[in-house]
Amino acid sequence: MITRFPNSSRFFLNYLLGLLTFSVSTGILYLLRDILDTPLIALLFLLPVGLNTAFWGLGPGILTALSAFLGFNYFFIQPYYTFTVHQTSDVVVLIVFFVVAIVISQLVGRAKAGLAVATAREREATKLYELTTALAGLQDDQSIAHIVAEQTLQTFQAERVELTARSTLKNISLSLPEATAASARKPELAAALQTVRGALGEIRVWRNQSLNQPADDRLLHTFASQGAMALERAWLTQTETRAKVLEESDRLKSALLSSVSHELRSPLATIKASITSLRSGDVQWKSSAREDLLAAVDDETDHLNRLVGNLLDMSRIESGALKPQRQWNLIGEIVGGVIARIRRAPEQHKLEVDVPEDLPLVPVDYVQMEQVFENLISNSLKYAPPNTTIHVSARKLNETTLMVKVNNQGPPVPQEHLDRIFDKFYRVTNADRVTGTGLGLSICKGIISAHGGNIWAENLPDGFAFNFTLPLTLDGTPPPRLPVDSETI
Amino acid sequence: MTNAPHILVIDDEPQILRAMRTILTEKKFQVTIANRGEEGLALAAANPPDIVILDLGLPDMDGIEVCARLREWTQIPIIILSVRDSEREKVAALDKGADDYLTKPFGIEELLAHVRVALRHSAQIKGRKESVVKAGDLVIDLARYIIKRGSAEVKLTATEFKLLAYLASNTGRVLTHRSILTHVWGEAEADHIEYLRVYMRQLRKKLEVDPERPQYILTEPGIGYRFIADE
Repeated sequence: MITRFPNSSRFFLNYLLGLLTFSVSTGILYLLRDILDTPLIALLFLLPVGLNTAFWGLGPGILTALSAFLGFNYFFIQPYYTFTVHQTSDVVVLIVFFVVAIVISQLVGRAKAGLAVATAREREATKLYELTTALAGLQDDQSIAHIVAEQTLQTFQAERVELTARSTLKNISLSLPEATAASARKPELAAALQTVRGALGEIRVWRNQSLNQPADDRLLHTFASQGAMALERAWLTQTETRAKVLEESDRLKSALLSSVSHELRSPLATIKASITSLRSGDVQWKSSAREDLLAAVDDETDHLNRLVGNLLDMSRIESGALKPQRQWNLIGEIVGGVIARIRRAPEQHKLEVDVPEDLPLVPVDYVQMEQVFENLISNSLKYAPPNTTIHVSARKLNETTLMVKVNNQGPPVPQEHLDRIFDKFYRVTNADRVTGTGLGLSICKGIISAHGGNIWAENLPDGFAFNFTLPLTLDGTPPPRLPVDSETI
Repeated sequence: MTNAPHILVIDDEPQILRAMRTILTEKKFQVTIANRGEEGLALAAANPPDIVILDLGLPDMDGIEVCARLREWTQIPIIILSVRDSEREKVAALDKGADDYLTKPFGIEELLAHVRVALRHSAQIKGRKESVVKAGDLVIDLARYIIKRGSAEVKLTATEFKLLAYLASNTGRVLTHRSILTHVWGEAEADHIEYLRVYMRQLRKKLEVDPERPQYILTEPGIGYRFIADE
């Protein structure tokens, strides 16, 4: 890792080591001078040249080559201990040696420098790979910014990293490590978070000055552009999601408007027609026609009231304002109340309730649960054929969950509709055949979800069922057991 | 002064006021109307009515405050009018002294039934309090601690009796969870709605013909309970 630390003492040490290697090999060869041929010595002298270049770098290598040239001439070419050369062949050997030594040191040195560059590149590539892997799949702009800053902090061995970015959606500003105070001095490295649409922000790095290398600046810019791309992607996705939500809510609003205006107008039409007819004096004071008209007005007024109630509930569910007031209640009491109210209408169906006496208290909003039962039962009444049975049952599924079933003997619902019947305005049958708002079941779903439960529908061998679960614990507390006094007065 | 009961209606909607005045006058009541809270309070003080029908959504002041201000000097029955899904508001008004509530829109039969209960209650305040309450085949003798269903005596625990006694001495009136809990179990237990749920089930089992479909002890969803006795 010599190239990583090119400070001056190390630099001289390399040359010194180069000279030392040369001296040692000269000494050894000097001792063997009488038994070795001159060309062989020349060949052996190439060894320290190559080794020095490989170990200590190009500079020491060339120094060794020069020294070897001189040393070879001085110690091993006759006459010894002079730089003069007598024989022509020795001149050739000397020149060839010099050329070969220089070429070898050059080649080895270049290969070594190339290796160092390749290692640095590989490190950059690895770091970049790590960054992109960490960023892949992230949609949250805050975590993207955090990952970029964190990876920069590690890669650049920085004291402090600051990242700022802003968009039309929001501003991000963070610094790592979190505990450090803002630095007074200028950052050693900085790069803009550049995208096609301009700079989103900047990333600034404070670190020990001596660590800086030309490659670092490039690496930081690569980091910055990766970060900028990830941020831009996240923000584009957010904008797109928002646009989709708006579009969806627009679509629902127009569906609502068309459904509502139809649903609101039909009872109003009945009321208006009946009332004007009664006022006109055409209808006799005591007649069945008069009774019919009045009953129609009464029914339609109730229908309108239910409709308005449903619309309000739906808007409350959608705005998140429907917060259940959960208290310990008995399912049996809730179902009983609902059935008593429904039973005022003429009976075409049999209603059976199966709620065990020993069922624990359930933490629910009484009024909202009443509405769930009312909607599920009246939906069953609407679709199940007359003279069939509607069965309401509740069971403890386990220590923390209650399971409620509302079964009827109605026709099965095609599989593809089963999930969607809880959607707003979703109708399996033609809307004209059955009155309603298409909101009842979605209100049930909203209420059950707000209670932390699930609701689903299923086809049975002999009918159709709504099922839902409710948690039996309230903020982690299990149902209370009450002290019961048994002493009579 | 005529003998016809005097009803003060405080509501800010002209159409409702018009309808109420027509219907109640038709039913031989003496009707005064006010469309502001302050006006209603002034009218009530100038000529005390037998019943106040009060809308909770008034433009100038909170209906709950009107209840509280009336209760400073009079116990005349107050029936509050309110819309669906405002249980919290209703409960607040009932706890502040209102006697009963009606949810808009309501039928006229319902209104008249509530007015009758309120008048009876008003008569009770003025004088005698009945110690024997009859409901269907139930006879509750509050003074002698005897409850009979037909000819058979019903055995109640001390808490059950206390609960029933409170309900039966306020027949026809809606009692909030808080007021029942405070009265029977004490102020400290006022939030333990589960006591009510369990004890009401026990009472119904002992008193109702069909405990699953009670006729005497009715649940007022999100608000409280009401005991229905013979008129």
